Amino acid sequence: RQAVIKMDLDRKVFGQHLAIQIVLRALSANMRSKRPRKPLVMSFHGWTGTGKSFVSSIIAENLYRLNIPRRKFVHHFSTVLHFPHLSHIHLYKEQLQNWIRGNVSACPRSLFIFAEMDQMPHGLIDSIMPFLGYHEEIDGVYYGKAIFIFLNNAGGDKITEIALDYWRSLKRREDIPVKKLQSLLSEEIFRNRNSGFFHSQLIQKNLIDYFIPFLPLEYKHVRQCVREELRMQGHPEDEDLIAEIALAMTDYPSEERLYSSKGCKTVASRVALSI
Amino acid sequence: LLNWRKISFSALGTGSMWQLVTKAEALQPVSAIRRDPVACPLSSLLTARSLRPALQENLDKKLFGQHLVNKVVVKAVKGFLNNTNAKKPLALSLHGWTGTGKNFVGRIVAESIYKRGLRSKYVHQFVATLHFPHAHSINLYKDQLQSWIRGNVSICPRSLFIFDEMDKMHAGLIDSIKPFLDYYELLDGVSYRQAIFIFLSNAGAEKITEVALDFWRNGRTREDIQLTDIQNALSVSVFNNKNSGFWHSTLIDRNLIDYFVPFLPLEYKHVKMCVKVEIESRGYAVDEDILTRIANEMTYFPREERIYSDKGCKTVDAKLDYYF
Repeated sequence: RQAVIKMDLDRKVFGQHLAIQIVLRALSANMRSKRPRKPLVMSFHGWTGTGKSFVSSIIAENLYRLNIPRRKFVHHFSTVLHFPHLSHIHLYKEQLQNWIRGNVSACPRSLFIFAEMDQMPHGLIDSIMPFLGYHEEIDGVYYGKAIFIFLNNAGGDKITEIALDYWRSLKRREDIPVKKLQSLLSEEIFRNRNSGFFHSQLIQKNLIDYFIPFLPLEYKHVRQCVREELRMQGHPEDEDLIAEIALAMTDYPSEERLYSSKGCKTVASRVALSI
Repeated sequence: LLNWRKISFSALGTGSMWQLVTKAEALQPVSAIRRDPVACPLSSLLTARSLRPALQENLDKKLFGQHLVNKVVVKAVKGFLNNTNAKKPLALSLHGWTGTGKNFVGRIVAESIYKRGLRSKYVHQFVATLHFPHAHSINLYKDQLQSWIRGNVSICPRSLFIFDEMDKMHAGLIDSIKPFLDYYELLDGVSYRQAIFIFLSNAGAEKITEVALDFWRNGRTREDIQLTDIQNALSVSVFNNKNSGFWHSTLIDRNLIDYFVPFLPLEYKHVKMCVKVEIESRGYAVDEDILTRIANEMTYFPREERIYSDKGCKTVDAKLDYYF
């Protein structure tokens, strides 16, 4: 099943060799063990449109066999939708704990995806701290096989800064050192007020196993997105159009115009306008 | 008038949802409220080709002076309806001067997709000052709005939501529907990928007019104005405008708006066209003299050049009443 996930990720996700590498490593380590000592906790960081949500959905699709309704084991939290009112934070904490406890006891291999972490009220995510640690069991429930994924835009600027730095020093995107990036990320998130992880104990206690950086997308990656969109919509793959759209989208920084500030978002609407 | 009714869909495992229903509906058993297969367009049956009546035709014939709108709206709607793999719902943001046709376009789009147009059960209009009047009730509005959207899209995936007076909407209220506009496959078991959201606002009107005026002063024709001339400037000006319902909204941050559609201020000749159409619709013969007289009665800006109508085509009806 690991090979399938790798194939899917390699084929469908553009420009994230680093992220894919770490994700595969994380998954194989966790899934290889018969009884992992703690649940797998991954935090995705990067600019909008770089594939964070996409990768988490590919993981979700491949983790469960086709004929089992996935929604029973994959739980998707949208902060804006599920935790809208700051004043109800105590209620949310309790609900969240119950939800996780209930679902993991029913299915140990449950997947929890937390989207829009940047909007999460500070302190809320700490309510699930007990479940993420090294425990045999908590109240008779074993959490080691569960998987938690956090999706953040926070940290994206830092990642882009480093990527840009590397590019300016004429070094390859593939050579960006992961470890350094990861430790910088965890520091940055901890200090960032615009993050659900601001001063979070999850970071202090090192409960997040992997910080996964999503690099900003370059011209060639955006081209791949445009090509894929044309294919999906059943249009011919017009090379001129692909170049035109990708060029227009590659807008950052304003001088070098290396990266797309929107990742692969807005491709569909640009394609529709040009047809 | 309207009651909140809780529906539990435990069989689907999606928990419960709230639905706004009329008193009569509230008394009916839940199973009685199901999707009307004729009124709620099924994506398999509805393709751009069957758009009723021809969207392009209606815009060409009835919308004046908006060459950009004609181009973008038709492509956007057709492209969206034709795309069986849409990864997010269609979100159009219509900006521009008053009386230039924003509400009108919303109506035309509704009429081209739904049999009963704006009166369809699956077309929902929100007017900021009417539906969300009190700043202190914003939390209530957020809950209601989310429930309304969730409930209705689950019944009819191809639902249309029109938000009017976005510039008067409390900053942050529109953020509460952001998840629905996003690239999610499912949210609590409901897919929003077939829904359409249209936002109407005056925000950005000054910027658009600036561009149009610029063209005019440099002797260039109105039809030379390209979308790119306006689009980038517009998204920034709307984002930074404290009066805009989009201010600091993650809608722009996350690029959840698919198309910014600018409405140009209307010139004297366009006002005359409005009057002409209005006279014709009342069944009277068109008198060139009246067209001129009414167009002359409107006020124009800027003070020196006096090119654009202050009110667009608004008040034309009232003035006509005076003549007939």
